[in-house]
Amino acid sequence: MASRIVVTGMGLLSALGDSPERFHGSLCEGASAAGPVSLFSPEGFAAQLAGEIRDFDPRAYLGEKNFRPLDRTSRLVASAAQLALADSGWTAEMRAAQEVALVLGTMFCSVHTISEFDRRALTAGPSYVSPLDFANTVINAAAGQTAIWHQLRGMNSTIAAGSASGLRAIGYALEQMRTGRVTTALAGGAEELSFEGFCGFDRAELLARGSQVGPGFAAPFDKSHGGFFLGEGAALLMLEEAGAANARGAKILAEIRGFGSAFDRSRGADEKSGAEAIRRAMQSALDDAGSTSNQIDGVIASAGGGAADHSEALALQSVFGGQDRFPCVTSVKSATGEALGASGAFSVIALLESMRTGRLPGIARLTTPDETLPPGTISSRSREISLRSGIVNSIGLDGNCASLVVTAPERAS
Amino acid sequence: MRRRVVVTGLGAVTSLGTGRRELWDALLAGRSGIAPVGSFDTGRYSVHLGGEIKNFNSAGKILRLGAGSVGRASELAIVAGRLALEDAGLDAQKLDGERTGVSMGTTSGEPREVERFNDLQIAGDPSRVGIGFIAQYPCHVIASHLAAELDVAGPNIMIPTACAAGNYAIAYATDELQAGRADLMLAGGSDSFSRITYTGFARLGAIAPERCQPFDKNRKGMVPGEGAAILVLEPLEKAQARGARIYAEIAGYGLSCDAHHMTASHPEGAGAARAMERALADSGLAPGDIDYISAHGTGTPTNDRLETIAVKRVFGNEAKKIPISSIKSMLGHTMGAASAIESLVCALAVSEGRIPPTINFEEPDPECDLDYVPNQAREIDVRYAMNNAYAFGGNNASLILKRCEA
Repeated sequence: MASRIVVTGMGLLSALGDSPERFHGSLCEGASAAGPVSLFSPEGFAAQLAGEIRDFDPRAYLGEKNFRPLDRTSRLVASAAQLALADSGWTAEMRAAQEVALVLGTMFCSVHTISEFDRRALTAGPSYVSPLDFANTVINAAAGQTAIWHQLRGMNSTIAAGSASGLRAIGYALEQMRTGRVTTALAGGAEELSFEGFCGFDRAELLARGSQVGPGFAAPFDKSHGGFFLGEGAALLMLEEAGAANARGAKILAEIRGFGSAFDRSRGADEKSGAEAIRRAMQSALDDAGSTSNQIDGVIASAGGGAADHSEALALQSVFGGQDRFPCVTSVKSATGEALGASGAFSVIALLESMRTGRLPGIARLTTPDETLPPGTISSRSREISLRSGIVNSIGLDGNCASLVVTAPERAS
Repeated sequence: MRRRVVVTGLGAVTSLGTGRRELWDALLAGRSGIAPVGSFDTGRYSVHLGGEIKNFNSAGKILRLGAGSVGRASELAIVAGRLALEDAGLDAQKLDGERTGVSMGTTSGEPREVERFNDLQIAGDPSRVGIGFIAQYPCHVIASHLAAELDVAGPNIMIPTACAAGNYAIAYATDELQAGRADLMLAGGSDSFSRITYTGFARLGAIAPERCQPFDKNRKGMVPGEGAAILVLEPLEKAQARGARIYAEIAGYGLSCDAHHMTASHPEGAGAARAMERALADSGLAPGDIDYISAHGTGTPTNDRLETIAVKRVFGNEAKKIPISSIKSMLGHTMGAASAIESLVCALAVSEGRIPPTINFEEPDPECDLDYVPNQAREIDVRYAMNNAYAFGGNNASLILKRCEA
């Protein structure tokens, strides 16, 4: 029998809080990370807002150390890893005795470092670049830096699948653990808010325009499809084999039951093709979990305010439409923004906190809901809900679709 | 028992030729693909050599997406992918789309898109900066471009674990096939020559001024290169059923992390040794079973010394008996493509019983005292070949290929 994989810790850095509890609380209050940008000037762009983590200071999590070797992405990931390790009670002594793997999902990783490195070589000359910066120009830099920081000597991998990166990373870790290659892993995703990413998304006309956070602004499943705003952050789950976690008396937060992914050949260009790929990802996650769709109580969708939201609504309809009870659906992205590599792991943490508290966040600023979804499926306000089993979806802009089935821990009898 | 996975097609685009045959002949002949850099001006650098693919031509290979519509690393991957399918005797028009997947590795993705971003910004052309950036830059586009070009919708993944990425991608593809989530996988790595990468290695003082001499006493460094290689992987029973030529079987793999330093290996080779030991255990082998090791062998003084320590740590007294060669002596370091190209070499080594040399080897180094197959290819019986790859971030990946005995 395949081993069962459970979550024993969570760590996140987000603009809406640096603990799962505060993060979930902000989501339920309808808060939004969208605001002015201080990391760079958005002058000249149609979009003016982003979900920046203001005053992020890694010393609050990692102590007074030399942070020069770590860029913003690495600092976020190393901090989130610290929080997840502490939450699961996984000490430095335990890390010395037993390997911990790290699987990180990211879309760009350190694109700002990469770009600045190149600009410095062009303007000052190639001998004026810093070797420390060069180390961070590889896309696995944050995973490598975090492994060094926390002495994570297990398998270390980075997965790039756009906005689906974080969920793909959790799926990859799950498979490595089921086959017994890895016993303990930190898995999740990260993205920093970068000028290069902002500029690219704005030029691609994918971002919500303007400087006002009004009704319908970047609202998932809203028919206005006005685009999303960019967010940032890092979120990691501590994953352990259930038997080992129980043996050491770890608190079990949830069980990761199944994962599925699919690729949309049209890469988002065709609505039906996109919907079919999302449906396949969800169905294969359900199959992998040994679950049926009518066992699912809630869905944390990938929708963020763009045109792809409608494909996801169509996919939800095709998976759940034939049954008496359609699960409650929500998305964190009206609050967090599209945090790219971090999105999937943010959504998983939102689901786990919703299970624990019995409250599912709403979709802030939702005004004209997509009518593909049955009435009452989505709500602009948070809801009381009995949530035992849920699905998280993550859909990249480039055809990558991923779904994860998670269940609440078994109740003590 | 897990499903057996075999290699049935090989495709490559390298500075030493396009396609399996051209590359293999050049490697066995000990030719070098290293030449003065042509893709950008190295006038302000103290080194000038690179392993570029000169006159790369994707004509007739990029059919669905259109030539010129994707970046260079994607083009290299697409050409390598189509060559691999042809080599496997598969008609790209008749693939089972939902059961065919893509698993790719890279170090830098499409770095030329960042370079273009900066060129436009410095040239004071802000209105054009960033156009096409999202569609062309993020590294996952290499895997998604290849899948879209071949119109396949099976498992699709990009694993950017730097210079060990090709091995990670092949390992992932093997897992997907073993789990039954696909029936055919195209797996490998791709990286395009990049001024960013070149600048970084030049700044580290890691680039050899004249030639790449792995394991030689007077070795002076690595040489950045570019390329792509893709292996067609399928379950043994499917390959047999269609009468495919089988080059090799994937025996197993091992991954680890040094957690020591971003750009330097562990001083005692601890992480590299753990990856090799894990690969041996995963394959059900003892150290004495390995007949050939394809080294990471970059040619830097430190890498080659520490890699030798790690091999000795795992293989003990057997180490001196095992031929070890580095094709980076001929291709330079093709980054994320390197371990994919080296896996292709291992597949050919077990299928043909020949191994490529380490060229430019003149003076043995007392600290590198193993058999590095100096300068001349060899004919030997290779039942098991181990491919070692190490990367920035302390990533280590060892893959073992074996002769397929059905």
